[in-house]
Amino acid sequence: MLEDFISGKKALFADGVHTELRAQENRNRRVSLIQGNLTANSRSEVLGVSARVYKNGLYGFSSMAEYSASAAEAVLKAATENALFMDKHVPKGKGALPVLQAGNIALNKAIADTEQKHYIDFCKGVDDYIVRTYPKLASRSVIMSADSMEKLLCTSDGYDGHTTLPRSYIYLFLNTESEAGVPLELFKAVGGFGNFEDQFTDPALLFPEVDKLYETLMKKREGVYAEAGYKTVVLGGILSGMLAHEAVGHTVEADLVLGGSVAGPNLNKRVGSELVSLVDYAHTAFGKQAPLPIYVDDEGTPAEDAVLIKDGILTGYMNNRESAEGFGVKPQGNARAWQFSDEPLIRMRNTAVLPGKDKLEDIIASVDDGYYLVDTNNGQADLTGEFMFGVCMGYEIKKGRLARPILDTTISGVAFDMLKTVDMVSDEMTWSSSGFCGKKQPMPVGMGGPALRCKVMIGGR
Amino acid sequence: MEDIRSVGNKINEAIQNRGVDKAQFWVTQKETHEFNVDGGEFSLMRTLFDNGLALTVYHENKKGSVSTNKLSDADIEAAVEGAVTAAESAIADEAYDIAPNQGSQCFHDNGYEPDIDRLFQRTQELMADIREHHPKIMVMQMIVTHVKTHSLYRNTNGTECEAFKGQYLISLTFAGHEGDVTTSFFGAGVMTDNLDKRFIELGSLESQLKDAEAQLKTIPFEGKFEGVIVLTPDSLGSLLGSIIGNFVSDSVILEKTSLWLNKLNEKVADERLTISMNPSDPRIVGRSHVTADGFLEEDYDLIRNGVLKSFLLSLYVANKSGFERAKNTSFSVVIEGGTTPYEDILKGIKKGLIVGRFSGGQPGTNGDFSGVAKNSFLVEDGKITGAVSETMISGNLADMLLNLVDISKETVADGGSVLPYIAFDKVVISGK
Repeated sequence: MLEDFISGKKALFADGVHTELRAQENRNRRVSLIQGNLTANSRSEVLGVSARVYKNGLYGFSSMAEYSASAAEAVLKAATENALFMDKHVPKGKGALPVLQAGNIALNKAIADTEQKHYIDFCKGVDDYIVRTYPKLASRSVIMSADSMEKLLCTSDGYDGHTTLPRSYIYLFLNTESEAGVPLELFKAVGGFGNFEDQFTDPALLFPEVDKLYETLMKKREGVYAEAGYKTVVLGGILSGMLAHEAVGHTVEADLVLGGSVAGPNLNKRVGSELVSLVDYAHTAFGKQAPLPIYVDDEGTPAEDAVLIKDGILTGYMNNRESAEGFGVKPQGNARAWQFSDEPLIRMRNTAVLPGKDKLEDIIASVDDGYYLVDTNNGQADLTGEFMFGVCMGYEIKKGRLARPILDTTISGVAFDMLKTVDMVSDEMTWSSSGFCGKKQPMPVGMGGPALRCKVMIGGR
Repeated sequence: MEDIRSVGNKINEAIQNRGVDKAQFWVTQKETHEFNVDGGEFSLMRTLFDNGLALTVYHENKKGSVSTNKLSDADIEAAVEGAVTAAESAIADEAYDIAPNQGSQCFHDNGYEPDIDRLFQRTQELMADIREHHPKIMVMQMIVTHVKTHSLYRNTNGTECEAFKGQYLISLTFAGHEGDVTTSFFGAGVMTDNLDKRFIELGSLESQLKDAEAQLKTIPFEGKFEGVIVLTPDSLGSLLGSIIGNFVSDSVILEKTSLWLNKLNEKVADERLTISMNPSDPRIVGRSHVTADGFLEEDYDLIRNGVLKSFLLSLYVANKSGFERAKNTSFSVVIEGGTTPYEDILKGIKKGLIVGRFSGGQPGTNGDFSGVAKNSFLVEDGKITGAVSETMISGNLADMLLNLVDISKETVADGGSVLPYIAFDKVVISGK
């Protein structure tokens, strides 16, 4: 764990500016077995210290790939000089940020390391099971990735903290061919927050996941192309989580609102049916730890939930300290940085559509002709809220019953139009947290949701 | 960090003391200067000092890798020990290997030393150019960077490659904006090793700014037809990435899921299409000089006159599969222009779509793709009849390459690639 070389440097913070000093280490352990071949067997560690200084509406930042008292002093000096350079050459004339209450967040979880051999043996155990049980698969991959962030933060005002965010996952990829010889693939990510041993104790506990994935892949062999057009669909929880993050979440990040996103002119207006509510959870959701808990952000703001849509009305944005001041609201801890050398950006944490009261089976039974879309392998959206999600597993719904599986397809729509078509919401949540959100820097995020009945464009062939 | 060669010598010594069969490593020293613009205003100036060590050891046909930015003597010892321990835990495979001795090389690329004041002026000038000539453009974010890298590659077969390189990177995210109307976002990026030209003249920046303004008035496209799509250099680049990932990359050859597994030296595309990987092209900036396996990089053709000439393989997968390795791993794609001016290609289209950006799911291993055609324009009877929204395209990547209509005379060089406009037939275009 990181030794504290930085809190003693507060005396060096310049007057009349806001300063953050952060030491951080990111680690990644990776093992990749493709067809039983060990194609990746790697360990990486990135450690350093950075400072960011805010003066009159402009920031200076500096970082050094060295963690020591002298490095902390050097980055403080360089960041202050950069802020002064900007203030001199492109002055904005803004004042200081509103002062935050001081506080401290104690270490939330210790990072534990694991020997590389343990990762390899574990993956091998899963891979051996796949080979033994399903010899007719065209190909298979078992990939383990464990990453962690550990941060020590000191601020001129606001909270200090020592926080960690470890995640551990095993990704299973199974490939087969359709009867026509067309390659088909499905994947599943298993794991979540915590060190490897928190998530994985015995390879045998993953065998049921392999079985389920194989069974679904075999169904997909009989898949048909979806019929292209504007259709009634039931979005499963994985897809509604993707919708919460990509199609709505990004448009309500305050920096993108200021960049002209569709959320700007829609604040306090109806953007969805009254069944739709959406929240970016900080560290606790529905009485449990959120998938990737954040307790304090990298500007020293203690993290709290951001309510974005309530009963179909757009109620707020996600902010950093500067944008919160601009919008006249309280910052809620959304400013996060990926590595020591990155400045905090407005990022999501655990963004979710809230569950409703319907049962999934009733929702499916209510659809005469449509699709139940279960899983996605990709999603993108832009400032207009127009989104595109790849669908890698789904089924036709005919007269209220699940019918044939469908082959890979794509759905699209415009979030604030599509959310108004939501007329049923299931009572169960599905979370995912294995991916990275991309926005200048990568960032681990959680996303989730219930099943939604709605209308979208579906691509066929 | 101390001198890069001294660090290299310590790593060599630690490797030798540990007695492994083979090893290769890169040591890098990087200095970054960056200006950020957010919401049309300057927001941030960054100065970063980074180091890095990427080390792979091979012992008894086992392989382990470590990367770290901690380079004290104790950290170097720990990194070597970590890589050896990882290798000892690994699965033995005779296919693991590194390049034989390539000799000693030192490369000095243009643009190594930055001119920060000039960079700041050019950035201010770009903002002024956009304000003056494209008043309906909202610059959401602009990141202008100079990255200076000093790197040293060595392996235990005797190769040494030292490189001094620097490049300016200009990256913009913007949208057309008028009243409450906002277009889809546009992303433009360009690399250069000098500051001789106004930034707005580089790559496809100016044409993308014009397209964003034209997208302010879109009509939802209705109906469905099979027709011609014209991929701009920007959208062509992203679909080429999918073609490479799906048909010629390490994983699909190792898994044997590539549709082109048995197509080497066979026709996979229209004979007018040649796709080259040419890091030595003078229009490419910031190239690598050594592959991930320690070979000196050479240019090669992936597809020549429609015939598949190479896969994009590492030495490991080449050894596993029996195919040849790729002669470089730079991904510097060059497709030379054809003979038809872009405007004339459009004139020949009865009904089709110019696709500025493809927002789609990762195409399946069978090459099927479908997604939203963003920043797109409808073409009817040889003329652009309007900007469209909510329009999807679907087809098959492998089929598409065989249904090529024409390649434009004009190309766009953005420092990372050189690409023309290409029209492909028999793609399904559908709206609401």
